[in-house]
Amino acid sequence: METFVIGLSIASILFMVALGLAIIYGTMKVINLAHGEMVMIGAYVTVLATKHLGFNLYLCLPLAFLVTAGFGLVIERTVVRRLYGRLLDTLLATWGIALILQQLIRIHFGLGLFGIHIDGLGSDLQNVPVPAELQKTLYFLGANIPVYRAFIFMVALLLGAITWWLIYKTRFGSQLRAVSVARNTAAACGVNDKRVNMLAFAYGSGLAGIAGVLVSGFKTVSPDMGTPYVVDAFLVVVAGGVGHLVGTFISAGILGEVQSFVATWLNDVYGRTVLFAVVILILLFKPQGLFVSRSR
Amino acid sequence: MDKRMKHRTASIAAYLLFFAVIFALPLFLNSFWTNRVATYLVYSICAVGISMSWGYAGILSLGQGLFFGIGAYMLAMSLTLAVPENNPVPELMLLNMQPDAVRDLCCVTSGSFLWIPFRSLAVGMIAAVVVPCVLAAGLGYVMFKRRTTGVYVSIITLAFALIGQLLIINNQPLTGGFNGLADLALLNIGGFDFDPYGPSVYYLVACTLLAVVLAARCLLSARIGQVLKAIREDEARARYLGYDVENYKLFIFCFSAGVAGLAGMLFTVSAEFASPSLMATAFSISMVIWAATGGRASLLGACIGALIVNFVGSVASENATFQPVWPIILGGLFVFVVLVMPNGIAGIVKDWIDRSDRRSAAGKEVYP
Repeated sequence: METFVIGLSIASILFMVALGLAIIYGTMKVINLAHGEMVMIGAYVTVLATKHLGFNLYLCLPLAFLVTAGFGLVIERTVVRRLYGRLLDTLLATWGIALILQQLIRIHFGLGLFGIHIDGLGSDLQNVPVPAELQKTLYFLGANIPVYRAFIFMVALLLGAITWWLIYKTRFGSQLRAVSVARNTAAACGVNDKRVNMLAFAYGSGLAGIAGVLVSGFKTVSPDMGTPYVVDAFLVVVAGGVGHLVGTFISAGILGEVQSFVATWLNDVYGRTVLFAVVILILLFKPQGLFVSRSR
Repeated sequence: MDKRMKHRTASIAAYLLFFAVIFALPLFLNSFWTNRVATYLVYSICAVGISMSWGYAGILSLGQGLFFGIGAYMLAMSLTLAVPENNPVPELMLLNMQPDAVRDLCCVTSGSFLWIPFRSLAVGMIAAVVVPCVLAAGLGYVMFKRRTTGVYVSIITLAFALIGQLLIINNQPLTGGFNGLADLALLNIGGFDFDPYGPSVYYLVACTLLAVVLAARCLLSARIGQVLKAIREDEARARYLGYDVENYKLFIFCFSAGVAGLAGMLFTVSAEFASPSLMATAFSISMVIWAATGGRASLLGACIGALIVNFVGSVASENATFQPVWPIILGGLFVFVVLVMPNGIAGIVKDWIDRSDRRSAAGKEVYP
């Protein structure tokens, strides 16, 4: 049961990261390898805001969303928008951006070169204080469940619901779906597809930022923490079927649980090995992913 | 002279010039730089492999580092056992064994029997090329038969390399874990010691690079090269024309993995260690950027790209002011190359030749 809940929280983080990636990839066919860095930046926003502004973890959630969405917006405006239609090139360019972002954190945004050091940045590991009520454990169905893990799950569910509402119930969502199915037709019908791209990229990045805040509560924060997330999240997107919200949700669940159970049974490394094997198996039997969106 | 001939002459001249410079260099370098440049040439070999699979066949593998690393480990295992103190059992295993285990390679730690064939240097050298090929064949078979294409191949190879790296780090008693294999013997073939700081290793690497480039050129100018380009441009059409697309892709993927393994093997010879950092995602992706900087669809461009990026990189990281900024410059280079010069240095040179061609032609006759 404990393992299940831990798996659920891993799955929730994966889901939040993968959701952003899926929106970005589904809408504009861009592989964003800097997406993991959005998780990292979200975590650093938490570190800085708790250290310098006295924020608690809850307040950091919207703040990190705004900051990372801002970063996403800038990346889209400056680099990614010039690369639409060149899928593999987006991969390289965004990896370059990821390198830059990591190093900027390490050298205190360049201030380190002039001897100015900001507490909370640099290449050392950082920790974030977690509010007392989240550190408790809850006795539920014969098992001790860390409240923090449950909290992560709740946030993920809430974000999933918000994203569902945004995509299927709002004007922006229908524009987004129109653009991802048939960009030119949508543009011809008067949808401002550049604006949709921009907002989708920013929203996706923001989701990763929120995941970053939650990750910072149970893992140490370091400049290179983001890379594993982007790979795992991409596996989730691929396994779940591109452009399928429910598919992403379920495959994040499966992969998170698989990783958690194997990791408790053997160790972390085998957890990830099996995770990868499962994805390969899924792709072998369902090359399009678990769920295929029936759109043309 | 028509345009095609002109390109051909220019490219042959460029190849000749490049290899003339490479072979003359050790005359002007001290032993430290001889070793350095030898290592850069190893990277060039790797970049040639990437240029073949990515530039010509459109398969962007982000797991080349795994193949490179495996090549390095295979030879490093043989060279570890070549050190007299490491017999019958390497020190790294003595540190990790159970107190009552038999001190023999067969059973000192679980899995240590895998090292037994590596007592022979030849096995280590052959395995450095064959094992990456076999792994690539297995992975490639799964990917290409299921018609996985484009970016999915990149992500799957990336994840594959990540897992490989984790497994190596995790199996400390077998692989030396995070520290990898160091304190190796010199490569000794037929009683001759290859000195990493002398010209012998340098020329070993340079000759291998020449051989790989020649082999690659022969392969690509043959029919298979044309088919690969066709696949890159339009896979479905190549399939309709009756070509067995999957097998062509599988072949070039394995070839490129074998080249990476070969490069990894030479890396062990010149750098004298093998470590899991060779399999890191960052390293795999930087290999791609070497090829992209030089020109992804040009073998020579890829070689030169690897040399330039690594040379500038190591000079910058020795300078205390530049050292912290270098990753930013490197990241900027990724973005710059992709945005501004997608065909790399080779593309720029080609454009320049074309333009001068047009200019000299315009003087003689007027085009309609």
